[in-house]
Amino acid sequence: MSVFSRFTLLRSMTLFQRITLSVRVLLVLLLSLPVLAGLVGVMLPAFGYFPALDAHDFTFTVFAQLLAIDGMGKMVLLSFITGLSATVISVASAFLLLAVFYRSAYLNKLQTWLSPLLVLPHAAAAIALLFVLSPSGFFSSIAANFSNILSSIGTDEAASVGGASTLLPPMWAFPYDSYGISIIIALALKELPFVFLMAITVMSQPHVKRKFDGYFKSATALGYSPVTVFFKVIFPTVYPQARLPILAVLAYATANVEIPLLLGPNNPPTLAVAVVQWFNHVDLSMRFQASAAALLQVAVTLVALCVWVVGEHVAKYAQGRFYSNGFRHTGQVFSSLLAYAIVAVYAVIVLSIIVSTVLWSFATFWQFPAFLPAGLTLLHWKTTLWALAEPFNNTLLLATLVSGFSVIVAIMALEAETVSGHGDHNSKPTSYFNGWSGALLSLTLFLPLLVPGVAFLYGLVWFQLAYFNEAVWFHLFISHLVYVLPYVFISLAVAYRKFDPRYAQVAYGMGKTPWQVFVNIKLPLLLAPILVAFALGLAISFSQYLPTLLSTGGRIATVTTEAVAAASGSSARLTAVYVIVQTLMPLLGFVLAWWLPTVCFNPMGRYSLLQTRKSKL
Amino acid sequence: MTKSNLSLVALGSLFCLMPLCMFDALRISLRGAAGVRVAVEAAVQVIARLVAHIAGQVTGLLKAILSVITTVMFTITLAYALEPAQAQAQINADAQTSTQLKDQPQNQSPASNQILGDAPTVQFHAWGGSAQVNGYIQWVSQQVSKQYNITLNHVKLADTSDAVSRVLAEKAAGNHTQGSVNLIWINGENFAAMKRHNLLLKDWANSIPNFALTNPSRNPAMITDFGIATDGQEAPWGKASMVFYYNHRFVEKPPLNIHELLAFAKQYPGRFTYPIPNDYLGISFLKYAAIALNEDQQGLLYQPVTDTALAKITLALFEYLDALHPLMYKQGDYMLRQASQLQRLMGTSELLLAFSFTAAEIPSAVNRFDLPSSIRTYAMEDGSLANVHFIGITYNTENVEAAKQVVNFLLSPQAQAKKQQLAVWGDDSVLDFSMLAANDKAMFKPVSHHVSAINKEEAVPLFAEPHSSWTDAIRQAWFDRYGERF
Repeated sequence: MSVFSRFTLLRSMTLFQRITLSVRVLLVLLLSLPVLAGLVGVMLPAFGYFPALDAHDFTFTVFAQLLAIDGMGKMVLLSFITGLSATVISVASAFLLLAVFYRSAYLNKLQTWLSPLLVLPHAAAAIALLFVLSPSGFFSSIAANFSNILSSIGTDEAASVGGASTLLPPMWAFPYDSYGISIIIALALKELPFVFLMAITVMSQPHVKRKFDGYFKSATALGYSPVTVFFKVIFPTVYPQARLPILAVLAYATANVEIPLLLGPNNPPTLAVAVVQWFNHVDLSMRFQASAAALLQVAVTLVALCVWVVGEHVAKYAQGRFYSNGFRHTGQVFSSLLAYAIVAVYAVIVLSIIVSTVLWSFATFWQFPAFLPAGLTLLHWKTTLWALAEPFNNTLLLATLVSGFSVIVAIMALEAETVSGHGDHNSKPTSYFNGWSGALLSLTLFLPLLVPGVAFLYGLVWFQLAYFNEAVWFHLFISHLVYVLPYVFISLAVAYRKFDPRYAQVAYGMGKTPWQVFVNIKLPLLLAPILVAFALGLAISFSQYLPTLLSTGGRIATVTTEAVAAASGSSARLTAVYVIVQTLMPLLGFVLAWWLPTVCFNPMGRYSLLQTRKSKL
Repeated sequence: MTKSNLSLVALGSLFCLMPLCMFDALRISLRGAAGVRVAVEAAVQVIARLVAHIAGQVTGLLKAILSVITTVMFTITLAYALEPAQAQAQINADAQTSTQLKDQPQNQSPASNQILGDAPTVQFHAWGGSAQVNGYIQWVSQQVSKQYNITLNHVKLADTSDAVSRVLAEKAAGNHTQGSVNLIWINGENFAAMKRHNLLLKDWANSIPNFALTNPSRNPAMITDFGIATDGQEAPWGKASMVFYYNHRFVEKPPLNIHELLAFAKQYPGRFTYPIPNDYLGISFLKYAAIALNEDQQGLLYQPVTDTALAKITLALFEYLDALHPLMYKQGDYMLRQASQLQRLMGTSELLLAFSFTAAEIPSAVNRFDLPSSIRTYAMEDGSLANVHFIGITYNTENVEAAKQVVNFLLSPQAQAKKQQLAVWGDDSVLDFSMLAANDKAMFKPVSHHVSAINKEEAVPLFAEPHSSWTDAIRQAWFDRYGERF
C-alpha cells in the first residue's frame, strides 16, 4: 500500500478506527518498552556503569569477576541441562500422547483432565511436588510400608531405629538433589499439558482439521497404522505451528526462578536463582555481578534456543528417510506402551499430589510411614484465611485491573486488523501475522516470554525506582501486563479469526458505523471468548511471582508471593492451604468464564436454536 | 473503564493527527510545484493548513495532555486508595499515641494521688508495637502506682532510636536535669550510641537490690550488651536464649554440649543441620559453636575482631564443622536457607534435633500439629547463646530514685514471673533460679506445663553475644571456606 493510499485510508477513518489503530501501536509499545528498557537497565551495570554507586566507566571486569566465581560453570550447566531436558521430555511426551490418542475417544478425556493443570501456578506445582517427593512424602511412605510388610513376613530386614517398629524417613536424594532431577520432574509435569493443549489447538482449527481428516483417511487406506500416520504426516505439519510456544517453554524452563528455588540444590543453585540472590543482596555492589549474571542467563537461554533449533534441523535431516521408507507400522506397539506408561505415571503423580496436599491442609499429627493423618482439623484453614485476606484482595484487584486492561487493548488492536479492509469489505484478513507489522507484532508478543524475566525485570525495577519510586501499584501493573497481555491477545486472536465477517458486512450495508458494529454485533457475539481471555489473564496474573516481588520490593503481598514465602516457612500444613487457594483462584476464573456467557447473553445458543427450527421446517 | 477510554482517546489523537498533518503538507506542496504562482498559492495554502492543523493539534495535544494528567492522577489516587493498610496503620499508631497521652491522667491511681499528694512521674520510653508488651507495661504501671505511689507513663515508640536522638537533642540544648525520657528499653546498637554520647546514668545498676538475683558473676550476659560492657549503665530486663529441641520418640538422650552434638550426628547421620549464616539462626549457631569450642580464649570474642583473633577462634570452629558437615542433612551439601525450615523438617521427623531462639514457639507449634507431640525442649549445658535486652536510665532524669524503684520492681521475681507467662508476654526471666527462694521460684511454675516446653526452672549458664564486629567476620570466613550458598 503506497503512502498516499494509506493516507486516504487514514482520512476516511472514523475516530473509533483511528483509536483502534493507535491502540495497536500502543500494544507494541506496552510490550516492547518495558522489556527493552529493562534489558538496558541490566546491561549498563553489567558493563560497569552504575551512577548510583559512582561507577561511570564501561569495562569488562564485571564479567571477568563473574566467570571467576567458584561453581559458575556448574550453575550455567544446571540451568541449561534442567531446562533443555525438561522441555525435551514434555514435548516428546505431549506428541507421543497425541500420536497414540489422536483418533481415540481418550483424547477428549485427556484434554479435560490436563486443562486444569494448565492453570496451576508453577510455584504451586513445585510446592505440591515437595510434599510428594520429600523423604517423608507419599512415595516414600509407600516404599516404607512395603518394606515394613516384607520385614514382618521376614523376607527383608527393614532399618528400624532402636529395635522399635517405627521408621524414620529414609535419606534419599529428592528434593534438593544436586543434579536438578527434581527441577526436571516439576518442569516436565507443568509444561506437558501446555504443549499438549497448544498442539491440540493447532490441530482443531477447522481448515487444519479437515485437511488432517483427509490425510488420515488416505494414509489409512494405504495401510498405515494411526500412530505411524501421525508421525509421518500430521506431526510435520503441526510442529511448525506450535514451534514458537515450545521455544517460549524452553526459554522459561532455562530461566525460571520459583521451581529451582523450591526444589533445586543450593550448592550451587541454578543461575537464575543466583541472579535473584545477588540482586537482593544487602551489599549494593553485588548489583554489578547480578547484572552480568543476568546477561549470562540471557546467553544461556539463547544457546538453549539455538541448540533446540539445530536439533530440529538434525531431526529433520535424519527423518528424511523415515518419511519415505514405506513402513506402515513403525513403533506402533512401542509408542502405545510408552504413551500408556506416561499417562499412568502422570496420573499417579498428579493424584498423589492432589491427595497429599488436601490431606496436609486438614491434617493434625501425621507421622511418617502412615498413609493418613491421625486426625483432621480446620485449624490451618482458619489461620490461613485470616492471614490471606489482604493478599487475596491485592491479588484479585490487580488481576482484574491488568486482565481487564489487557482485554480492552487486545480487542482494540484486533479490531484494527479489520480496519485495513474498510474500503472493500470482502477482503477478510487471512492472517494476523502477515507483513512486516504482523511480524513485528508476533515478535513483540513473544518478547516477554522469550527474554528471561530475571534479566529484564531488575533493569525495569531500576528504572521504576529511579523515576517514579512511589507509584508501586503502577509498577506492579506494568510488570504484570507484560506477561498477561500476550496470552490475552493470542487467546482472543483465535476467536477474532473465526468471527464470521458477514455479520459485520450486513450491518455496514445497513449504514452502521464501525463503532456501532463493534458494540452491537461483535462484542455480544464474542462475549464468550472475551470472558475466556479475561479469565486466562486473571490466571496468568494470579501466578506471577518474580514480577510481583521485584516491582513492589515486597511492599504488596499477593497470594503467590505469600505461598512461596510460606513454602520455606515452618508449617507444611499452612503451605498446603496456600497451594490450594492459589490453585482454586484461577480455576474459579475459568469456571466463571464458562458459566457467565450462558447466563448473561447466549446468541450462539439462540442461533443454534434457530438452526434446529429451520431444519425442522 | 471510562478513564482508560479517555486515555485511549488521548493517545489516539497523538498517534493519528501527527502523520496526517505531515502527509497533507507533503501532498499539497508536490501538487503546487507546477508554477511559481501556483507554488506560492500552494505555500500559503500549506501554511494556512499547517497553522490550522497545528492549532487543531495543539488543542488536541492539550486535551491529550489533560487527559493523560487526569489518568495519571486517577492512577495515583487509585494507588493511594489501594494502599490503605499502611496509611491506616500510621493513623492507628498516631491515634494510639494520642489516646495514650490523653489517658495519661487516668493511668495514675487517683486515690493515691489525692491522699499522698505529689506522686513522682517516670516516663518509660519503650517500643510499643506489641499488644502483649503494652499490656504488661500497663500492669507494671498499676503495680508501681499501688506499691510505691509512682506514676509510670509508657511512651510508645515506633523506633527506639527516636528516644535516643531526643535525649541527644536535650543534651545539646543544655537540658541536663529535667529530661523527658527517664527509663528507656534498649540493647545493642542503641545502647552503644547512648554510652558513646554519655547519655545514660552511670553505675546505678549494681545498687538495685534485685539486680543481684541475676547472678552477674556467673552470667556475663547480664553485664555485656553485644560485646560492650554495660558498666552499670543499664539493668537487664529480659532475654531470649538459644534452646535445642529433639524428637523424644527416636532420641533417648539428646546431646548436652557441643562435643556431644558431634557424637549425636555420628549416631544419627543426616538428622541434624543448621541454616546458612545469612540467616539469623544460622550465624547464631556458629557463634554458639565458636564460644563453646574456645573455652580458653572466650575473651577474644568480646573485643573487636582482629585477623589474629579470627584465625585463633576459627581454627577450632572449622575443624569442628569439617567433621560435622558430612554428618548433616544431605551430607551438608544442601543447607537450609531459612531457620523456619528447621521446624518443618523436625515436623516430618527428617531431622531429629534442631534449635530455636524463641522457646515459646515450640509448644505452640505442637499445639498447631506442626511438630509431633514427642518433641522435647532443653538448653545446652555448656551454655546458651543469649540475647539480653536492658533498661537504661538517662543522665538527665529528675526522679532518679523513682526510676530505680521502677527498675527494681521490674527485676522482682513477681514482675519477672508475670512477664514469663506465655499468656502475658512469654519473655524469659533474667533472674538466676539458683539465687531465688523456694516460694519465689514457685511463682515461675507455669500454670499448666506443656511437655514440649522448656523447663525454665533449671538454671543454665548463658553466653553473651560476641562483640558485634564478629558477626560479619565469622560469616565471611564461613563463606570463604565452605562456598557461598544461596
